[in-house]
Amino acid sequence: MLKLQNISKQFDGKSVLDHINLEIKTGEIVSLLGPSGSGKTTLLHIILGLTGINHGKIIFNDTDLSNVPMKDRGFNIVFQDYALFPHLNAYENIVYGLRNRKGSVSKEELQEYIDFLELTPHLKKRISELSGGQKQRVSIARTLVMKPKILLLDEPLSALDGVIKESIKERIKSIAREFKLTTIIVTHDPEEALTMSDKILIINQGNISQFGSPQEIINQPANDFVKEFILKQLEIKRENIYNLFGEKYA
Amino acid sequence: MPDVKPAMRVIYIPILLLFAAFLFLPLGMLFVRSFETADGINLSNYLTVLSNAELMKSFENSVKISGLTAVITTVLAFFLAYSIHCTRLYRPLKSVIKTGILIPMLLPTITFGFAIIYSFGNQGIITKIFGRNLFDIYGFNGLLIGYVIYTLPSAFLLINNSFKYMDKKFIIVSKLMGDGTIRSFLNTIIRPLSGTLGGAFVLSFILSFTDFGIPASVGGTYSVVATQLYQVMLGSIPDFNNGAVIAILMLIPVVFSVFLLNYLEKLNFHYDKFSDIELTQHKGRDICFGSISLLVLIGMFSVFAVMFIAPFLTSFPYDLSFTLKHFIDTFQSSDLTAVYKNSLFVALMTAVLGTFIAFSSAVLNVRTPLKGKSSMDVISMLTNTVPGMVLGLSYLLLFNGSSWKGTFAIIILCNMVHFFTTPYLMAKNSLSKMNPAWEITGILLGDSWIRTIYRVILPNSASTVIEMFSYYFINSMVTISGIIFLVTAQTTLVASKIKELQHFAKFNEIFILSLLIFFTNLIVKLLCDHYQKRQFKH
Ligand SMILES: Nc1ncnc2c1ncn2[C@@H]1O[C@H](COP(=O)(O)OP(=O)(O)OP(=O)(O)O)[C@@H](O)[C@H]1O
Ligand SMILES: [Mg+2]
Repeated sequence: MLKLQNISKQFDGKSVLDHINLEIKTGEIVSLLGPSGSGKTTLLHIILGLTGINHGKIIFNDTDLSNVPMKDRGFNIVFQDYALFPHLNAYENIVYGLRNRKGSVSKEELQEYIDFLELTPHLKKRISELSGGQKQRVSIARTLVMKPKILLLDEPLSALDGVIKESIKERIKSIAREFKLTTIIVTHDPEEALTMSDKILIINQGNISQFGSPQEIINQPANDFVKEFILKQLEIKRENIYNLFGEKYA
Repeated sequence: MPDVKPAMRVIYIPILLLFAAFLFLPLGMLFVRSFETADGINLSNYLTVLSNAELMKSFENSVKISGLTAVITTVLAFFLAYSIHCTRLYRPLKSVIKTGILIPMLLPTITFGFAIIYSFGNQGIITKIFGRNLFDIYGFNGLLIGYVIYTLPSAFLLINNSFKYMDKKFIIVSKLMGDGTIRSFLNTIIRPLSGTLGGAFVLSFILSFTDFGIPASVGGTYSVVATQLYQVMLGSIPDFNNGAVIAILMLIPVVFSVFLLNYLEKLNFHYDKFSDIELTQHKGRDICFGSISLLVLIGMFSVFAVMFIAPFLTSFPYDLSFTLKHFIDTFQSSDLTAVYKNSLFVALMTAVLGTFIAFSSAVLNVRTPLKGKSSMDVISMLTNTVPGMVLGLSYLLLFNGSSWKGTFAIIILCNMVHFFTTPYLMAKNSLSKMNPAWEITGILLGDSWIRTIYRVILPNSASTVIEMFSYYFINSMVTISGIIFLVTAQTTLVASKIKELQHFAKFNEIFILSLLIFFTNLIVKLLCDHYQKRQFKH
């Protein structure tokens, strides 16, 4: 279980996150949803340990991690642009961290990750030869072999086109289930957030607007922001789709 | 950016100390010495130098000839670059122009002078061909030819690069708008290039103003600052304090020029997108520019031709029978092979250590959050400004009494600092284009920061590192102005040996040594280019 207690963060005196309190259960998929500049990436980096906090505590399984450096926290991230190493091929990227964790992942386990992400045909390819979706799966594989205790994803879908998007969404869900991996995903698309996660954290201007399951958010929006910005977008989408396909699909 | 400051400081602090000891301290010393007299610190050295008519004349001469060189070089370099980018010359011909023009970079400038003497002098090849002396070669004319050949490659590279990033679609637009040839030329070529052309002028000026090799060989009685400085420091009555003053005075126009360069940089147009377009057919244009470029190239080659011919002849120009005797003699002379080995050693060490320092400095500046990291930029500005002769002289002043005197270490350090700017900027440019999340990713995958640099950043910079290496190597191989004050009998390098051989009129040895430098540099350059290409295939 990951607990954030009273987290505050300022950049150059300007408050970016304000008194964030949050509990995430092991194995849950949580989306961080909010408009641009609301502090989603900052919160993700705070959990990762990349960004320090001005105030508050981060507690993971009853251990206070607030002052534990990034590399000792045991969390890992997939960056939006994947940050793959172009001088290595796909396979070499995936096993990059293994030499630092000797024995933690067996040959069979490694193969299991590769199979699961359907990367076998692409292992020998250079990074520049991979498609966006393939790059992302390599990046996820590289992170998974490190057996992170929490998997963080910053806008994993925004660089992908429609069809790939759906399959990656499914994949992320099944990774979390299969490996019982707590997963935190940043997104600014309400549809994405509500269709792929167990819980959604809606942030607005550095404050939590609402934290709850998709059902709770849809049925009991906590405030005007959730109603106006989050639900409104979904309604417009629904409207557009009705107009395209006609009432019979309603 | 990852926050592992202790590891970063382990690199940062030694680099700062290095530049403190081998850049700031010597320059400070130079400054102090220029004011030091028998009766304390005062301005009398400056008064002595400024009231010395001969010295003042040499300043005037330097400014005059460097200015003229800069005009000629800029015009010629523009013609060459224009031929490459804006004409439909036969492609292989363009490649020949592009590569051929860079050849002088592989030779020490002192060789240029001797090649000129052997081509245009009383007994020179070109003189023989024409049957009479075309002009007096010692002094102004010889210097001018030498300086133009020396500065042309650098000016060409600069202009050529700007042409590459110029949007040639504007040429078509201007035509469609009904502009005449002149107007179109001014608006679409000259105006966008004005910053670069100014830059090429200033660069050529600085290079000629501070070069020592050319006036040392072909200067004759036309005295310039560089030769005056040499005489004051190492002549029959050395005067270190006056030398320091001359060095400071030499620095003034250079400092001014560097500011001008930075200003001109702002004039450059920055196209975010540029497109290549089919150039219009125009026979007259192509023939005109093609022949001018070829003439420049042939002119340059004909000056150097003698270097490749004379050492193979028994006694040029009297006995023109073929012989390998001079080569065999040179290679059997343990003296000359030792000098060549010295040069090779210095160039290799400079290239390895210099690349390491320049690359580390760039990593610190571009890829760490360290406070004060931009001091690297200040250092690079400074190393760009200080001429080799001034740097070498300041080392001489600082280390003369110490055990550093006469060591290879001091020569290598001088070269590392002297040529720091370009490799540093190369590294900075390439590092700033890399994904900023790589180091964090490496650390999350269990590597330390330094290991990530080694396993990820370095391999992805391979091509740049090779280019930096080649730059350092070739420049250390050819420089004379930087090391002329630092070599001793035990640490003689090829370039300074050539200067010595001049006194004994041993031109065959001079040319053979020059050829050695030339082919060594050529091999290093070709090898580096080859490995660089392989890297790009990633
Ligand atoms: N290193 C930094 N220094 C100063 N301000 C920062 C820094 N990083 C982020 N900020 C500011 O903090 C605020 C939140 O940024 P953050 O990147 O967390 O937003 P976000 O929700 O991820 O937005 P987006 O959807 O655009 O990615 C912004 O106003 C941003 O300008
Ligand atoms: Mg963000």
